Amino acid sequence: MMSVRSLAGACLATVASLCVVAAPVSAQNYPTRTITMIVPFAAGGPTDVISRIVTANMAQTLGQSIVIENVVGAGGTTATTRAARAANDGYTLITGHMGTHAASVPLYPKLAYHPEKDFEPVALLAGTPILILARKDFPPKDLKEFVAYVKANAEKVNAAHAGVGSVSHASCELLNSILDVKPVGVPFNGTGPAMNALVAGQVDYMCDQIVNAVPQINAGTIKAYAIATPERNPSLPDVPTTAEAGLPAYQAQAWNAIFAPKGTPPSVIATLSAAATKALDDEAVRKRLLELGSVIPAPANRTPEALATLVRSEIAKWTPVLKPAT
Amino acid sequence: MSDTPSQAQVKSILPKWVRGPQDFVGGIALMAIAVFALWASSDLQGMHGFSFGAGTAPRMFAVLLLLLGAAIALTGILNEGPPIAAYSWRGPFFVALSILFFALAIRPLGLVVSAFSSFLIAALGSHETKWLEAIIVGACLTLGCALLFPYVLGLPMPMFPRFLIQ
Amino acid sequence: MELFANLAHGFAVAFSPMNLLMCLIGALVGTLVGVLPGIGTIATVAMLLPITFGLPPVGALIMLAGIYYGAQYGGSTTSILVNIPGEATSVVTALDGFQMAKQGRAGPALAIAAIGSFFAGCVATVLIAVLGAPLTKLALAFGPAEYFSLMVLGLIFAVVLAKGSVLKAIAMIVFGLLLSMVGSDIETGASRMAFNIPELADGLGFATVAMGVFGFAEIIRNLDAGSEMNRDLVQQKITGLMPTRKDIADSTPAILRGTVLGSILGILPGGGAVIASFAAYTLEKKLAKNPSRFGRGAIEGVAAPESANNAAAQTSFIPLLTLGIPPNAVMALMVGAMTIHGIVPGPQVMQKQPDLVWGMIASMWIGNLMLIIINLPLVGIWVRLLRVPYRLMFPSIVIFCSIGIYSVNNAPVDVILAGVFGLVGYWLIKHDFEPAPLLLGMVLGPLMEENLRRALLISRGDWSVFISRPLSAVLLAIAGGLLLLAVLPALRAKRDEVFVESES
Repeated sequence: MMSVRSLAGACLATVASLCVVAAPVSAQNYPTRTITMIVPFAAGGPTDVISRIVTANMAQTLGQSIVIENVVGAGGTTATTRAARAANDGYTLITGHMGTHAASVPLYPKLAYHPEKDFEPVALLAGTPILILARKDFPPKDLKEFVAYVKANAEKVNAAHAGVGSVSHASCELLNSILDVKPVGVPFNGTGPAMNALVAGQVDYMCDQIVNAVPQINAGTIKAYAIATPERNPSLPDVPTTAEAGLPAYQAQAWNAIFAPKGTPPSVIATLSAAATKALDDEAVRKRLLELGSVIPAPANRTPEALATLVRSEIAKWTPVLKPAT
Repeated sequence: MSDTPSQAQVKSILPKWVRGPQDFVGGIALMAIAVFALWASSDLQGMHGFSFGAGTAPRMFAVLLLLLGAAIALTGILNEGPPIAAYSWRGPFFVALSILFFALAIRPLGLVVSAFSSFLIAALGSHETKWLEAIIVGACLTLGCALLFPYVLGLPMPMFPRFLIQ
Repeated sequence: MELFANLAHGFAVAFSPMNLLMCLIGALVGTLVGVLPGIGTIATVAMLLPITFGLPPVGALIMLAGIYYGAQYGGSTTSILVNIPGEATSVVTALDGFQMAKQGRAGPALAIAAIGSFFAGCVATVLIAVLGAPLTKLALAFGPAEYFSLMVLGLIFAVVLAKGSVLKAIAMIVFGLLLSMVGSDIETGASRMAFNIPELADGLGFATVAMGVFGFAEIIRNLDAGSEMNRDLVQQKITGLMPTRKDIADSTPAILRGTVLGSILGILPGGGAVIASFAAYTLEKKLAKNPSRFGRGAIEGVAAPESANNAAAQTSFIPLLTLGIPPNAVMALMVGAMTIHGIVPGPQVMQKQPDLVWGMIASMWIGNLMLIIINLPLVGIWVRLLRVPYRLMFPSIVIFCSIGIYSVNNAPVDVILAGVFGLVGYWLIKHDFEPAPLLLGMVLGPLMEENLRRALLISRGDWSVFISRPLSAVLLAIAGGLLLLAVLPALRAKRDEVFVESES
């Protein structure tokens, strides 16, 4: 039965793939024309904004414009599949992300690409820290109380997340596995509705990226227990780190990085990597990224080699956490 | 989706006790869709504890559609109703072909070629078409689209065939 | 008065030449996008987002907002002229609007749509300025249980608006619900009925199905032998361009009611605007002395939903401006635009960014004024388009729709799917099934299922939440009452039919 169904799928998929034609590789004088940067999420989201800020600077360095193409769908895996199959000439790149290049491996058993086998790492860009958030009248006052409360009331509490495969879903599962609790996870369609439910007090807690949460925390409509990075964030100086608050094991960051399709010439990767790291050292770029609450990696951590290591360790980190979820 | 039966066939197939063929066939077709959906969602998880599984809602709606289809088919048996309307093949065939051609051609051949060709294929669907006029209008329309979509609205789409660019 | 000071400040911002220009560009682009079938607001705002990089933030947002409500004006144009709703909110407009066009009254239909939209836009703008903050509570009062009940109510509206058999309308809704199940499951991420096609992983697009069952199906049917006569008739019958005094008198109460409904429902995140247009139509049909006119070219059937969807488009800014939470995909993009400019909207955005908030509110009114000035003269041009011979018109529509659908996701498979739905739609027409309930079912299906599941997750499987929460109970009660009203006459008619066999 299954085979008939996949056959039907294969037929339509073939129709689609008829349209993909490879282009010849030319690494000399790269780049000689416009580069396309695929962003696997909607325009205006954290990954999109970071990509735009960095690529605008990279384009100046490279002397060619970089066009952002937002391809939305299936937690970013639609776009990543497309990028994996694109010509490996350095003119199609993707801003990959914790979800598309690590969490997707355990989440989607039928993933059409593998983050390590189908991509060349180029450069780590910036990450957005994860916060542990709760509705404003949730009883626990600090992280220690929160841990005790959630463990004691695991049957009663509700954790919201922004949909399977989202950063908030993965990071919440990580927190739950560290606390060894299984609260009811209430899925929402995106960060906005999830935040709305948290502000309205319909759900108890959630984990989310800092960009979405800062204004709500400052307005007192929700509260933050801790930030899951080694250091406090300048945009929320009063929120302690998980280490300070007594849960050092919980470290999570939605990192973003540039990847190229497998087989892209090393000279092209080197050119792109240098341009990206130069962009991250630019004052104006740094200022805008910091305004978003982003964390900019140290130069040693931006290299293709460091990124390859990160991807491997992230896959190892998320696989046990997310495997039972599906 | 199921093939659309022509009028002549239906007349010969349907027995006399079907008094409203339009409703009867419509209801049966909806039931077929529902059965197909039930099959397609059969591998999905059902209810677990108090929460819905992935397959709960699709199967619920499929069963509901099955029942509604049956009810409609029943109306076709019980009540006098209109006969199956006549289908023509020329319009559906060429319009569908034109859409299919556009879908397959837009990536490799670009907007200009695919839009113009699809226009002419679609025009085959009507016997009123005057060819000189259709070619002129099709060319103007293609030119307009080629300016409007990529430039005015900034949509990223290929303009010309790939083999010409490289 | 603080309000007047704020508004004065807003107008001062909005009337700067730069911002006026942005507003005009936004309104023009929005109208264009609305008129072109397939290309939706979300896609356009997403595409134009990068262009706003170089603009000052207030100007950029004024332009994006202009595109958003401009598209609501433009969206009705294709619904009325060629029976192709570009947005979920203009599906209902097609019901009576296209019938009016067939009767040679496309001009009055288009004009009343623009006038209704303008009136609704003005009222809603004032509402945002005056009651924005208190109305925010409504958005927060709606939890999953309330949403589910609202969606049930929405589906009942779809039953009521059907002009034919109630049974068939319900079947179409359920068919739509079933189609909406295609994609990924929200809770487990499991792929449902997607047959491993990547393009189906996130479900069938609204534009794909709408272009198919409305646009392509209509074309195919018009190519049927024998329908040339009807078409020629349409072209000869075109009468006045502007509504008559009677049209205005008929439409005024509909516009007023539509505006009120739209303003309230627009505040609710997700699906509010769609339900608003259906609710407004249903209300008019229920209040009408002769409900059978609806679906056959009643001008109220255009005026009410068009006012409602424009009012809703405006008031959907309320959650964004007061809570900083985007209620729909277009608003999420607006948040993106603000973020790119370094403004992160939140509950304090009104205090922290008065230029932005009040400038935008003032620009909405200016934008609506510009839109009516742009749109009324366009009515003449659109109506003239109907005089283009059909043999040239239909291939053009096929091309425009194909390009439009392709552009949504750059996916050829979407175009093929729209073609398939065109054939399905042709079949539906042949069997006297109405496509409007199907589309509503498709739009509301995911919202209904997700909220049902959320509500049950939070209540730990206790179904009584839907009646123990007062707001939810009220909504369900209204839904039940409406269903009874819809079914009773049908049952009575059936009974009569039994006695009067030789009716048709």
